[in-house]
Amino acid sequence: MKKIFSIGLALLLVNWCLGQDKGNLLIKNGTVLTVTKGTLTETDVLVKDGKIAQIGKNIAAPQGVRVIDATGLFVMPGIIDAHSHIAIDGINEATSPVTAEVFEGDVVNPLQIGIYHALGGGVTAVHAMHGSANAIGGQCETLKLRYGTFDGDAMKMEGAPRTIKFALGENPTRVHGGGSGIVPRTRMGVEFVIRQSFSNAKKYMEDWDAYNKNKLVKGFRGAPPAYNLRLETLAEILKGNIIIHCHSYRADEIFMLLNVCKDFGIKRVVFQHVNEGFKVAPELAAYGAMASVFSDWWAYKFEVYYSTAYNAAILTRNGVVTSINSDDAEMMRHLYHEAGKTQKYGNLSDDEALALITINPAKQLGIDARTGSLEAGKDADIAIFKNHPLSIYGVPQFTVVDGIVRFDRAADPADMRLMVDPKQNLDDVTFHDKNVDHCMEGTEFLFSDLFQADKK
Amino acid sequence: MIESIYSKNFRAWKVALAACLLWPAYLFAQDEKPIAPVGKTYAITNATIVQGPGRKIEKGTVVMKDGLITAVGAGVAVPAEAIVIKGDSLFVYPGFIDGLSHTGIAKPKEERDTRERLKDPGNPTNERAGITPQNDVRTIINPAEKSVEELRNLGFTVSQVVPYGNLLPGQAAVVLLGGKSADDMVLVNNSALYSELTGAQNAYPNTIMAVMAKWRELYKNASLQKNYQALYASNRNGVGRPVTDRVYEAFYPVIDQRMPVVFKSERVMETQRVFTLKNDLNFKLTIGDVKEGWPILNKIKSSGASVFLSLDLPDEIKKEEKKADKKDAKKDSVKTEAPKKEKPKTAFDLEREALEKRKKESIALYTSQPAEFSKAGVTFGFSALSVKTKDIPANLRRMIAAGLPEDEALKALTISPAKLLGLEDRLGSIDNGKIANLVVTNKPYFNEKAKVRYVFVEGNVYKQEVAEVKKADAKVSYKGTWSYTSETPQGTATGKIVLKEEKGNYSGTISSNMMDKPADLKDISVDKETISFTFPFDAGGETLTIEVTITVDGDTFDGTITAGPNGSFPVKGTKDPKF
Repeated sequence: MKKIFSIGLALLLVNWCLGQDKGNLLIKNGTVLTVTKGTLTETDVLVKDGKIAQIGKNIAAPQGVRVIDATGLFVMPGIIDAHSHIAIDGINEATSPVTAEVFEGDVVNPLQIGIYHALGGGVTAVHAMHGSANAIGGQCETLKLRYGTFDGDAMKMEGAPRTIKFALGENPTRVHGGGSGIVPRTRMGVEFVIRQSFSNAKKYMEDWDAYNKNKLVKGFRGAPPAYNLRLETLAEILKGNIIIHCHSYRADEIFMLLNVCKDFGIKRVVFQHVNEGFKVAPELAAYGAMASVFSDWWAYKFEVYYSTAYNAAILTRNGVVTSINSDDAEMMRHLYHEAGKTQKYGNLSDDEALALITINPAKQLGIDARTGSLEAGKDADIAIFKNHPLSIYGVPQFTVVDGIVRFDRAADPADMRLMVDPKQNLDDVTFHDKNVDHCMEGTEFLFSDLFQADKK
Repeated sequence: MIESIYSKNFRAWKVALAACLLWPAYLFAQDEKPIAPVGKTYAITNATIVQGPGRKIEKGTVVMKDGLITAVGAGVAVPAEAIVIKGDSLFVYPGFIDGLSHTGIAKPKEERDTRERLKDPGNPTNERAGITPQNDVRTIINPAEKSVEELRNLGFTVSQVVPYGNLLPGQAAVVLLGGKSADDMVLVNNSALYSELTGAQNAYPNTIMAVMAKWRELYKNASLQKNYQALYASNRNGVGRPVTDRVYEAFYPVIDQRMPVVFKSERVMETQRVFTLKNDLNFKLTIGDVKEGWPILNKIKSSGASVFLSLDLPDEIKKEEKKADKKDAKKDSVKTEAPKKEKPKTAFDLEREALEKRKKESIALYTSQPAEFSKAGVTFGFSALSVKTKDIPANLRRMIAAGLPEDEALKALTISPAKLLGLEDRLGSIDNGKIANLVVTNKPYFNEKAKVRYVFVEGNVYKQEVAEVKKADAKVSYKGTWSYTSETPQGTATGKIVLKEEKGNYSGTISSNMMDKPADLKDISVDKETISFTFPFDAGGETLTIEVTITVDGDTFDGTITAGPNGSFPVKGTKDPKF
């Protein structure tokens, strides 16, 4: 026990030193599930400086490079979760229906133990999202699970496009309409809030453009418009620099947002949850909108009763780029099971099913040129499984991020916390995240009256 | 120990005469904290003077006149008018400097944020949001606040103080821990803009991310407004009038890099978020009350920020608890008769041991933070923002035991913070011309038995209530009859507590003007200077259990009476003389 423990600490120290470093590695003789280029048996994957340098047979190990014998094992791209709330301090700025200016990238917390747990499930990258309390929530951050660093910035996937959370339906209407008695109270109100915000942003952009143009004129002495980070961010959406990820369930609302995007010339939109996506799959495909769904989770509130486990398959067959997400720290650890369910419900092929948790979420986050499949030149984000990952017997053995082994099942210490709270009562120490839905975290105060009313 | 020297020369007589004329004022002033300055010249003679780290004068003299140090050295002449403190066996240090705290400011009574919910929580007033950077801390400093005296009693003479609040509570000021008014105390007004990455409750900005977004927006708008005001000032004709905005204006000196922003920066992630803002906006930065800086030491070092490490430390794991466990274990083994081998450890035991070990290691990391910073060559001071004042000396000793050299500790209490605050020409060492801030102890300061004898703030002496050394080693005695008073909502309670002791067992009674007859004391427990007990109280038919905890200091005690749901009240007492 003690031995394992000190190994764990040694590992920690190594990781601290590594930070954002890139590793070298040779994975020998595995069944390589490239996802995009088919399945290659008895194949090696060579990693140099954090990138996949070569995939082929009988690659000689460069000197001093760690070799993982993957004989009998399955080598797949690291799993990407397009909807998560781990590794951040604060999920909902629930005080206003529009909070585009807030940014999860400011509050990345690389110390959360859930990051290591996710690695244990073969996950290498997550989309750390703002919650769904607001019609227009905050900006999200794409993280690589470089567990071991104390630097939040080192967790960020450098170069990943900006994304933002939108939300339709019951959550924003409940929080702001029900909780505070302000717009939006209804689904119509949600549409209004979004349209109004974009219109304001357009006007804001025009004002600044005019000011900046005037400033170039010699002798110009006008006042600048007030700087507004909220409108500034919304303007970036209009300019196509931020991908919308919209929490949504009902088909009518999904269609509504497609129309809003069309009206404002916004092309990049991903729908999250999308339980009724199967009803508007052709429309989504035609627009180029994407969908990130649960495999079979529904009926937790009224707007998610009309659901089906065939959702992912139907969307896929209609040509919608579809992913399966967790929205939950526990489910994140077996997303490969979730993907496997689409083979029972919809007969997806192995590659189609694996794409749901690898290349497709990568496309949705705009990072598919770097991750999501095993191809030479891509980042060495790799999960190695015993048994096929889509089988119920699949168990992750190694998880590699940027060529560095961040999880090794054979050397998995009991206590991987980076910081230990010196005031915490030992009886309260738990290595588990409580299994709750974080989408509405931070909104509780708005409902205090409602709860009291219930008690009465 | 203070005595006037009435030398034979005439000037001294004049001083004495003046003192006589001032007699009534002197009497009156006895209630005031500073001992009335008969003259404003003091000399401490024949003392060990530590002018600064590594600069020790054995048997030296330091002379202070009108609030300044006028002479220091081994053979310094004592001016005739000086009040002399015979420093034999005493140690003199520069007065300590606290880099960030709320000293002198009353803590807001109710948590500000339990206020009613807003109709539109997304658009609160600036005050509600915590955006009051224009607040002048002078308006709320109270020299009589007990935190001033408490911190000063430990040898601190200067604090950088900031208002309570969240986000942008107001401006900091460097103040002397002594004086009659806030203005009297202030050395540097508007020394920094204070900020915390703490959200408003139930109102925007509620989360850290919103606080950071708001920060950026405020700063950017302040910059725009400042530029526009400059443009307007250059030629006002035909240009729209810039509106004044006190919030933005508070940022101007920060934008000009004339004033730093001081952030409360306890946690490792908090510190890095502050760095994010600094890197985005490029202001001069001070990080205060840093508790978890060691994992990012290099980042802190290269940031160029001024650093004040927290004087707060996590509690050590009590050894007594462990001993108690062992005792129980022994008892158990006796019961089982045969000298059986220890039970094999269960997985649970092993996990618990591992957790305990890591917790211990974690505490050690916090304790050794100043040593690590010192080794890395980072200049740092200390801050008292969150520490319980009475813990400071023990915490300093723990830091020293964890590898911080004593000289480095002294540096961090004196010259380093003076430099970080830009005040090394006036503070931080015992040198000619500096402000006469001194702390005088009976033993080297970091010695466990050291007691502060005098604290000088700008040449005014504050004497310690030094309990005589005799009883320091003797056991505290509770035995006897104590008279107490306590202010309760029902009026002033007075009476006697009689405590008896026999072979370490205590018993006793309590009488009160609110009870018909004395009650017996129950649940008496004693821990060093603190004794606690309960007694039954008949509250109109209902019997309440009243809990009392008192801390004895010589012949007086201070404590708390807790009357169940009716709340807690302070209680004071004195020992009745024996006849």
